[in-house]
Amino acid sequence: MNQKTERAPKVALSHLFWWFMFAQGGGLAALVLPVHILVQGVLGPLGVVPVADRHYDTWISILGNPIVKLYLLVLIALPFFHFAHRLRYLLVDLGVPAAKSVPAQVIFYGGAVAVTLVAVWVLLTTAPISLG
Amino acid sequence: MSVEAESTAPVATRVYKPAMATGWWTHKRHYFWYMVREFTALPMAAWLLWFLIEIQRSGSVKTFRPGTSTAFVIFSFICLLFALYHSVTFLGLAGVIIHIKALDRPVPPRAIVVTMFGLWLVASIVIGAVLIGFGR
Amino acid sequence: MTDKRITIRAARFDPEKDKVPHMQSYDIPFSDESMVVLDALNYIKAHVDGSLSYRWSCRMGICGSCGMMVNGTPKLTCAAFLRDYWPRPVTVAPLTNFPVVRDLVVDMEDFMHKLKSVKPWIIRKQEMPLGAGEHRQTMDEIDDFRQFSQCINCMLCYAACPVYGLDNEFLGPAAIALARRYNLDSRDQGTKIRLPVLAQSDGVWECSFVGECSVVCPKGVDPAKAIQQTKLDTTLRFVLPYGNRE
Repeated sequence: MNQKTERAPKVALSHLFWWFMFAQGGGLAALVLPVHILVQGVLGPLGVVPVADRHYDTWISILGNPIVKLYLLVLIALPFFHFAHRLRYLLVDLGVPAAKSVPAQVIFYGGAVAVTLVAVWVLLTTAPISLG
Repeated sequence: MSVEAESTAPVATRVYKPAMATGWWTHKRHYFWYMVREFTALPMAAWLLWFLIEIQRSGSVKTFRPGTSTAFVIFSFICLLFALYHSVTFLGLAGVIIHIKALDRPVPPRAIVVTMFGLWLVASIVIGAVLIGFGR
Repeated sequence: MTDKRITIRAARFDPEKDKVPHMQSYDIPFSDESMVVLDALNYIKAHVDGSLSYRWSCRMGICGSCGMMVNGTPKLTCAAFLRDYWPRPVTVAPLTNFPVVRDLVVDMEDFMHKLKSVKPWIIRKQEMPLGAGEHRQTMDEIDDFRQFSQCINCMLCYAACPVYGLDNEFLGPAAIALARRYNLDSRDQGTKIRLPVLAQSDGVWECSFVGECSVVCPKGVDPAKAIQQTKLDTTLRFVLPYGNRE
């Protein structure tokens, strides 16, 4: 029998929130990540097409644009909330019930927060903000 | 391993409850591909971390280093395969999770999935055009 | 009429004698192409080994009693045709993820408890007085929840669900699908009451959308769909400024 001592169930707001972030990050990654990987990771290095991040001057001027910075922040940070959630549950599936614990949640979601903060710092400090 | 459990009979009877095999996901194709789907998060995270590092290295012309090596292309290609699998499964399943009504009739899941894949195509074309266009 | 035979390997477990279950083979006549695994079990019990224990009732796929693992897949034994397995042996085992009481019989108590916890009945803030007549529903309103109402509580989905297998606290596919059936019913006003049970930490959030529950469901309920839609609806209630009241 697996009945807990009966205590009133409560809406798990933290689970709700992290699932919401998982869904947002996963959707974004699904829609935009493949083209970035294809162009910047395969076609560009192979020289099949010219790509924005292959020449320093071009890339730096693009990186200076605040809208580009915002886009890159969302592109990099939001999927990490998807990755954190999914990888945590992957561990559960592999037979590590400790992955459900609060410390595990802190590590995984904290990791996504950390990536977000690092991304903010990198984007703010690399290439000064300039318009045009 | 067995578990002592109460039954409705007056005498407590033993039940048999084995632990789940750690390799449960190797026993059925559907379980295996589910695990592959979950695993896609790792290569995608790795590639985005590379991208973040590439941006950081763009701080000065000395440290700037766009990926060129064969190893990097292979790495990207493998990540791309996993990212594609993520996209196909995620967008495909969007038709299951999203249920909306238009003019009081439920929108068929097929229409939602087609819209999702359409969005994917449009986003890819636009972003690809920007990435390539600014490279000239 | 050829003398066709088939081997049934059934799991045996006597709680008073056995530490672990063992398989026992029975070689029986496969006399009719319409024979199902349940027919084979009934033949064994009637003619070969009366001690074999298993649950069954309607033998036509509506009562949900005869769910067992057939060659590793959860199935209603009344709907598993021997002709699909012959000439290879058919292995019959009790539903996975449930404690085995005896032979092919599992302890259903956990499921019954979870089913009850989602209050699978019409909840009204105030019962309509008899004089007001019946609740009226359009066909479209019935279509909203019809699919999820097909559940026969056979528990095949729980046997298929690795999340439930890894953690028995998980609320599980059928309970969530039935909760949604009532949440979507226009006569029901109990969505808010069911919310804490569905949205607790062992509720819908534990599901990682493996989807095997929907694959094995004999009635096409698609509990995986019910769970994902419940996740989305529950989230929107909290995320949208005035909530998404269905």
